[in-house]
Amino acid sequence: MKRVGLSVAGGVVGILFFLPLLWVVTNSLRPGSETFANLNPLSWQTFFELRPTLTNYSALLGSEIGRATLNSILVSAATVVIGLAVCATAAFGLAAFEFRGRGLVFGIVVLSFLVPFDAIAIPLSTMFRDWPLTNTFTGLVLPGIGNGMAIFLLRQFFLGIPAELVEAGRLDGLGWFGVFRWIYLPLSKPALIGAGLMLFLFQWQAYVWPLLIGTDAEHIVGPVALSNLQGQNFTDYGLVFAGAVVLTVIPLVVIAGFQRYFVQSVSSTGLK
Amino acid sequence: MRQRQGLIALAFLAPALVCLAVLRIVPAISAVVESFYSESLLRGGRVFAGLGNYTDLLAGKEFRQSVGVTLLFTVLVNPIQVVVSFLLAVLFTQRAAGARLWRTLVILPIATPPAVSAVIWSVIYRPDGLANGVLERLGLPAQPFLTSPSQVLASLIVLLSWIGVGYWMLFLIAGIQEIPVEVREAALLDGAGPWRRMVSVILPLVRRPLAFVLVADTVSNLLVFAPVQILTKGGPNGNSNLLMYDVYNRAYAIGDIHVAQAEVVILVALTLVIVAGQFRLLRGDQ
Repeated sequence: MKRVGLSVAGGVVGILFFLPLLWVVTNSLRPGSETFANLNPLSWQTFFELRPTLTNYSALLGSEIGRATLNSILVSAATVVIGLAVCATAAFGLAAFEFRGRGLVFGIVVLSFLVPFDAIAIPLSTMFRDWPLTNTFTGLVLPGIGNGMAIFLLRQFFLGIPAELVEAGRLDGLGWFGVFRWIYLPLSKPALIGAGLMLFLFQWQAYVWPLLIGTDAEHIVGPVALSNLQGQNFTDYGLVFAGAVVLTVIPLVVIAGFQRYFVQSVSSTGLK
Repeated sequence: MRQRQGLIALAFLAPALVCLAVLRIVPAISAVVESFYSESLLRGGRVFAGLGNYTDLLAGKEFRQSVGVTLLFTVLVNPIQVVVSFLLAVLFTQRAAGARLWRTLVILPIATPPAVSAVIWSVIYRPDGLANGVLERLGLPAQPFLTSPSQVLASLIVLLSWIGVGYWMLFLIAGIQEIPVEVREAALLDGAGPWRRMVSVILPLVRRPLAFVLVADTVSNLLVFAPVQILTKGGPNGNSNLLMYDVYNRAYAIGDIHVAQAEVVILVALTLVIVAGQFRLLRGDQ
């Protein structure tokens, strides 16, 4: 009896959270002119479409949002690849060597993630204007690649790699880069995936920074393009909702694919 | 030997250190420095203004309202989100049919980028949108939501909780699952009721993740920007003019970049004070 009560409570909460997304998906499958048709009074048709059409999605392909979504993918992918290279080498530098000033360097890493990025986005954007990096992919990608939190996580993981392995590698004639490349990296796949997810989500969800730095048609990213469209007088809500679905499904697929590592990276940021 | 190690380590660290210094630390310092300068039309360039930008800010009615709105918002949104996340984490760690599915539905919105969520909710909150459709169905009168000075903050809090609660819940679920089964069973054998078990057993044992969630949630809520910029532009009558949006508005709509830098400094200082205060409080009652 108690279990039934608990599952009903859970079900109600779950469905309440899901309704907005369900409504978005449903409306992405019907013409934009019908978005507000089934709301007064509310009926089951509000949340289900019996004759779904993909016209909104095909319209998306040629639209600004389609282009902007490709930009988001490009920027996020570049951030993950370059960011992982930068963060993993730094974490290796911190974990594998004893040197004077290591504490200081580690302090800088920690300090850099204590200052919230969004708060310094405005001063940073005035700097980027002087260096002409506005409306460039470089300008969009750069702030994502040096992620103090990712360095911190990777360092924690690297510290667990036994010194004997490194010694053995050195005796076999590996240079330090070889040790990093052939011993540390292959042993750290879970940590690298977790850090990669963090870098990806940072860029995919970014809004303040791309709004400040990349708003021309060639460099606009998905969320900014979507919010632009929303502000216009004659908004095609079918297109808005199709765009919202695509911008949600892409990270969802990535998170679901690496679910195990996602929970790991999320929980280790707070608990360990 | 150690010196050689240091050089090699530095080679590995260099790219990241350059990135962190140039992209995080220099702009923070530059905000502080620039906040003491202003543009002078007479002398054509930057002149030292001392605390002038700060006194200008504090003298302005808009800025003081913005601070007030931000503090009110902070005091409301954080307890709500932390309590709801905790209750949901407890609910979804009970053994019950469908718990995994329901939990997933709560977590799902965290995949939606915040700006996209704001766009979705801007349609939900329209006078003819989904929210009023639901109210109508329940027999309640339609509400103005974003255009009402008294409802706008509450509307933003609902939207931000939809985005955030699932995320914070993940930390708390992880914390609850680390509680040894024996501890929970012992409480059950002692005849503790569900409320007693939650307050006296689970709550003290998830203190660490709970403290983290409170602090991280507070920081993220102090930096809320996309929903304000997309939904309300700070209105009506400045009632949703949160500091982060005020900074942006000052820098780009008004073009007062030096005063905006002073406001960034105040925003970061405020964040640090609140977070330090929370840490203190949480350590205090240990």
